[in-house]
Amino acid sequence: MLQTGKSASVRRGGPLEQWTERHLRYLMLAPTVLILLALTIFPSVYMFYAAVHRISPNPDLPWEFVGAGNFARLISDPQFHVALRNTVVFTIVAVTLEFLLGLGLALLLDRFIRRLSFLKTVLMIPMMLPPIAVAITWKLIYEPQFGVLNEIMFLLGLPVQAWAGDVNLAMFSIIVADVWQWTPFIFLLMLAGLASLPVEPYEAAALDGASSWRQFWDLTLPFLKPVIAIALLLRVMDALRLFDLVFILTGGGPADRTKVLSLYIYQVAYRFADPGYAAAMSLFVLFVTIVLSTWFMKRMRLAE
Amino acid sequence: MVRKFCLALAVAASALAISASAWADITILVPSGSEGDGLRAAAADYAKMKNTKVETVQAPYANVFEQGANAGATKSGVFDIVLMDDPWIPFFAENGHLEDLTSYFKGAGVEGPDSDFLSKSLAICRNPYNSGPYVCLPYVGNAQMFFYDAAKFKEAGVEAPKTWDDVLKAAKALTEQGGGRYFGYVFRGGQGNPVVADFMPIFWSYGADMFNAERTKVTIDTPEGAAATKMFMALRDVSPKGVESYNANEVGTAMAAGTAASSINWPNYVATFEDPSQSKMVGKISFSPIPAGTKPGSSEIGHWTMGIMAASKNKQEAFDFMMWATTAEQIKISAERGNPPVRTSVFTDPELTKQEQFRHYPVLMEAIQASTPRPRHPKWPEIENAFGIELSKAVAGTITPEEALKNSQAAVEQITGLK
Repeated sequence: MLQTGKSASVRRGGPLEQWTERHLRYLMLAPTVLILLALTIFPSVYMFYAAVHRISPNPDLPWEFVGAGNFARLISDPQFHVALRNTVVFTIVAVTLEFLLGLGLALLLDRFIRRLSFLKTVLMIPMMLPPIAVAITWKLIYEPQFGVLNEIMFLLGLPVQAWAGDVNLAMFSIIVADVWQWTPFIFLLMLAGLASLPVEPYEAAALDGASSWRQFWDLTLPFLKPVIAIALLLRVMDALRLFDLVFILTGGGPADRTKVLSLYIYQVAYRFADPGYAAAMSLFVLFVTIVLSTWFMKRMRLAE
Repeated sequence: MVRKFCLALAVAASALAISASAWADITILVPSGSEGDGLRAAAADYAKMKNTKVETVQAPYANVFEQGANAGATKSGVFDIVLMDDPWIPFFAENGHLEDLTSYFKGAGVEGPDSDFLSKSLAICRNPYNSGPYVCLPYVGNAQMFFYDAAKFKEAGVEAPKTWDDVLKAAKALTEQGGGRYFGYVFRGGQGNPVVADFMPIFWSYGADMFNAERTKVTIDTPEGAAATKMFMALRDVSPKGVESYNANEVGTAMAAGTAASSINWPNYVATFEDPSQSKMVGKISFSPIPAGTKPGSSEIGHWTMGIMAASKNKQEAFDFMMWATTAEQIKISAERGNPPVRTSVFTDPELTKQEQFRHYPVLMEAIQASTPRPRHPKWPEIENAFGIELSKAVAGTITPEEALKNSQAAVEQITGLK
């Protein structure tokens, strides 16, 4: 560190001033580090600690160390398996549909969007709504007796459906609501990616007589790869945490067909008062998310 | 000068903090809806009368349990009183979250609550049920009633349904005539609490119960349970498509809109049915206690009760408030605010019973006195969830009713450790 005239004069001060001068950089970093410790590190360590204990709702009973016991329960808990399966199905189907629709819309509207900028604003509305408002809106749409969807079905002479109450339709109904809300997110990212594509390779390809499909497959998709990777990664991470839509629309039913991991963790922690097991499940989800993200980023060569 | 000013400010702030902490504030956790609104209004009256400060924290139904359980587990003392749904009492009491009220009654010079309270309303406030010490006081006298459109039932050849067979007969005829737009029966089929709440009265009406009298054995998968499930499935077949996701609101809406002829529901829906701004069925819905199966019908009791949190720092003040809020005078005011009473004198008060909005009081009092509490177990939320999943599967048709009973038996045995 350069010793300026001013700092040299401080050095000449009392021991407190000298100590402050020596440790100034740490003192300036301390608030950030403390906040980080309090908000991220401490809860994570506490969750690890909780996950290896059986915690009674009775505050007079001590926490019982169970080691890997809570993690072993994951293997034999049928409700956890159901929730895991539903979460995987939801994530794969919803994110795939959102990606295909988002990319398709972006390709379709790329040329016109500058002239129709209001369209971009309209398409962004679902994404800007709070998830709870989206869930309540779709609950009203799906309502079997008075909902607008069944009213349309009735007017068209089609059989009315229990959209959120039918075992075969409930997950589909949740996916549709999620796709409605999050397709615009993919659309916007893809649109930004398309706007940044270089023009020259396309001109060269056109000169070589490459078809539109060939250009899309060999140029657009590879160029968009980093954007696609980020979009998919963010959506997958978000889909694994799905809660609001399921909580409002179906409560995990009917017949457990829409019970997802976040809902089950919430039930175990707060309704069954078993926070140790809930912490173990949360760590499992965290582990899966980290593994998936790392694998994905490596696959898409983002790691470098 | 500045130093002196700062010192004076610090002393003043400390004095204020000390006096604030010594102030006998009471904080009450209440649910959203008429029950919580009623107690919140009472708390405001009390605060004005006593010149004290009573805080009410209002949360949705499920969050009241979560916040109360969290406050109890962490001994935070953030709430002095919790307005609890009665099935939560064993969880709160047996995990040390609630104060035993015995010494407080002694301090007030009484043995316990007076005999004007309905006996069933008092029984649930003792833990163990009807035998242990009082851990709360009843405030809202909920018990399920059977609601039906008497004119429609008459058209279907049933004057006043006395049994579930009567209900099914009328409901079947009305659904067949309804062309997919009108139904004879509607129920809460949503997974978990909703489907369990609407199944239990039928379960009890056929002589079934979740445990034996000694609470040493799980008794779900029995011939009585099978008879009850058979009736429940028959009623499902005459209910609207989509009941698999219905809760009390959807059932109430179907009845108020005149698209369903009968249902089980809570008494606070009487106000909805009689409100022209919310109902097409004003004056047309009749009430009765729960119909009989092979045994007399029995409602599920769903009282809201006030208990003092063990970690409260204002226990005596909390008890004084609870005693005041449950006097006959205050329960009558609560009734006028839309909450069913828990005292005989209020149920039979001519000033109330002559009014149209309270015409269901005789039936409700009968329903409470014939009611049954949900199985009293500290793990009831987990039991209800497991039972609710199997019933939901049966209602959705993914498993047979027999499988639902067998699976429920196994799940409840595993949760409780009983055989």
